[in-house]
Amino acid sequence: MTDADPLSATLFALADPTRRGILAQLARGDASVNDLAAPYDMSRAAVSKHLKVLERAGLVSRSKDAQWRPCHLEGAPLRAVADWLDDYRRFWDRSLEALTDYLEEMQRPKNKKRRRKDAK
Amino acid sequence: MSDVEIDSSSKEDAVIVMTRTFDAPRDLVWKAFTDPKHVARWFGGRGFVTTLCEMDVRPGGIWKHVMRMPNGEDLVMEVVFLEVVKPERLVWENVDHGKRAPGGHPTSRMTVTLEAVGKKTKWTLVTRFGSIEERDAANRIGFANVIAEGTEKLAEVLAE
Repeated sequence: MTDADPLSATLFALADPTRRGILAQLARGDASVNDLAAPYDMSRAAVSKHLKVLERAGLVSRSKDAQWRPCHLEGAPLRAVADWLDDYRRFWDRSLEALTDYLEEMQRPKNKKRRRKDAK
Repeated sequence: MSDVEIDSSSKEDAVIVMTRTFDAPRDLVWKAFTDPKHVARWFGGRGFVTTLCEMDVRPGGIWKHVMRMPNGEDLVMEVVFLEVVKPERLVWENVDHGKRAPGGHPTSRMTVTLEAVGKKTKWTLVTRFGSIEERDAANRIGFANVIAEGTEKLAEVLAE
């Protein structure tokens, strides 16, 4: 459906309150489609549609064996998003820290402020 | 002193907001941020060494930046400027919009606003996520919420 990279696929899957609700429910344990549909005023088919999106994003897997085919939460894509956000924040935090120092350096009078090396 | 935060209040947009106040006049901050000669000196921060920085700061212009990461690998960034309002507003987004290699960054649009506060300058960086297909969804639902909720749930999941 979409050629988006996995990270974007995860973000897309998360961009819907029902899907987030489903994930929250699954975080408490595996559940059937009926279980998942229960809290919502929504048909089983509608919930299945959301599950499809979550499955495609790799956030949910479904057992093939058991007859009720329980849905299971897969943590890896969430972890990838959290990792990316962490990296992103760290990158800018570090950059802005460096910019703070650099701005100070830019404003420093260009006199002979050479640091003397004190031999100890 | 570090004022980086994920804004969890916005329901309008897909955002991460980072703010910081610099002890420098706005014109100088703008210069440090838009002149490649200066940008090469701080972008990426400690441990990141800029090996290439080309900026064509005007709408449609490209900013290409290559830096050597602490692990020895190159980090290549290429973005296109969408809005340039000297000295107060700069907007850019990934140049490979919607056609990223797997594992790449999520598509994002970044807006930096510089606000003069006396002799200081307040910096605000707003990052919005979403590719072409995702934009509708992103505009409807606050990504900030997604992020906040997502990470909370994540904590639960990881605790298992």
